[in-house]
Amino acid sequence: MRREKVKKALVCLAFSILIPTLVTVGYLAFGERRYAWIILSATVLFVASFFLYFEKTESKTGRLLVIASMTALSCVGRVVFAPIPGFKPVTAITVICAIYFGAEAGFMTGAMSALISNLYFGQGPWTPFQMFGWGIIGFFAGLLSERLKKGKAFLLLYALFSGVLYSLIMDVWTVLWADGFFNLSRYAAASLSALPFTAVYVVSNAVFLLIGLKPVGKVLERIKTKYNL
Amino acid sequence: MKAFKNFHPVSLAVYFLSVLTVLMFTKNPVLQAEALVGAALFLGALQGVGTLLSDAPFYLALFAMTALTNPLFSHNGVTPLFFMNGNPVTLEALLYGVSLAATVIGALILCRCFCDVMTSDKILYLAMAASPKFSLVLSMALRFIPMLVKRFHRVERAQRTMGLYSGKSVSDRVKFHVRVFLSMIPWTLENAMETSASMRARGYGKYIKRAEKIKNGKNVKNVKCEKKKRTNFSLFKFTPRDAALIFVCLLSFGISLLGEAFFSVGFEYYPRLGALRLTAWSAAVYAVFGAVTFMPFLIEVKEALVWKYCVSKI
Repeated sequence: MRREKVKKALVCLAFSILIPTLVTVGYLAFGERRYAWIILSATVLFVASFFLYFEKTESKTGRLLVIASMTALSCVGRVVFAPIPGFKPVTAITVICAIYFGAEAGFMTGAMSALISNLYFGQGPWTPFQMFGWGIIGFFAGLLSERLKKGKAFLLLYALFSGVLYSLIMDVWTVLWADGFFNLSRYAAASLSALPFTAVYVVSNAVFLLIGLKPVGKVLERIKTKYNL
Repeated sequence: MKAFKNFHPVSLAVYFLSVLTVLMFTKNPVLQAEALVGAALFLGALQGVGTLLSDAPFYLALFAMTALTNPLFSHNGVTPLFFMNGNPVTLEALLYGVSLAATVIGALILCRCFCDVMTSDKILYLAMAASPKFSLVLSMALRFIPMLVKRFHRVERAQRTMGLYSGKSVSDRVKFHVRVFLSMIPWTLENAMETSASMRARGYGKYIKRAEKIKNGKNVKNVKCEKKKRTNFSLFKFTPRDAALIFVCLLSFGISLLGEAFFSVGFEYYPRLGALRLTAWSAAVYAVFGAVTFMPFLIEVKEALVWKYCVSKI
């Protein structure tokens, strides 16, 4: 019990004093890169506080296990589809999981997939942004679940949206970090050079979502009713 | 021998985060050079000089590309070298490109060291301290991955034998892969549900009633239900050495940040190249940060020498 209290106090201290101080000193210290620093800190804090929230609210072991299996499936997908360049089922699995298990589960699946698959593909400064990107795609999918279940057109639109959002999140930070302001020409160059990848990415999202939503959705629905999750 | 790996995971995390943050956000060439060279030597010590040399062309190409393209995006600076399409290509932008390239490559190399040193058990340990549920998901997923890859190949082999797996075009390959992949999903989820039932049966996450305390021979009435503390498996011990590493890292991080903010460690490329000023504070920053960046390499070398010496004595 005392340990719990100490931990709680430490978390409070970190969130009220240490982190604001660190962010402020970084803001003063890093000159032109201060905006990149702020965005990086905000992203890390957002993901961390979402995990804390998850820790407080999610209680059913079954749901945790569903999230773990979906995360594992999307990481394995990244491995087994590696021979076909650009085809990754991560987004599709995150979105499907979010549609049937809610926005929070979607965020966790996306963020965890990024974290764990980077253990195999290489961590980097991009890891927090990947976690945030995939997480937020899952979160929105959870919020829009009813509409995504119904219309194929909306599903395709979401595949496009998630592909564009993902590369947007990654590129904006790169540009801000390199230039210290939103340099349009560098952003255009980055987006253009990433365009083939983004295109393959969008197509693979659409393919996986269209093929996968029905059968996987059926399985998830069944698991949900069978085990009362 | 991988001596640096033997530090406590918390110390290692502090080390990598502090060095990476300074490396990525500073523009001071001395700090950048220290971090880049230190990280490269560290990677060489971890994975052998061969790996470093075989990766060198990639890094050099990336370096050249980043450094040379920067003047195309940025026209700041007061010293134009020549004009291209009516836009000035400035000396400052070129030098800023070099600094940017050094940072990018330093960060990449340091992250590879991170992957080599911070194995999944260490990340799991760190997660466990922060959040048990998050770490449960993490550990489960880490265990599922090799299992699922094995299963994937089992199903794939079975389908290949049945003659269902023959196409060579991309669309066929995608189709077959997707079919095998989809067949794994119900299998995995049912399996996970069995695991969860088994965990519930063994009391995972249940409140455990503490034995009633006996005070002065009387039973105390109001017994609180408390969550029994979940233990975790770890082989890591926090020693004074680890505390020392954390202290040095935080010290270097702190004085670098304060130096950048207030004490002339900062460096500007635009509009005019700044000058490196050598003050007591900046000298201290260079010395401490240099010590921190070269420490892993020195530890590895020392350990290798000790190993060699011991072997030769036998």
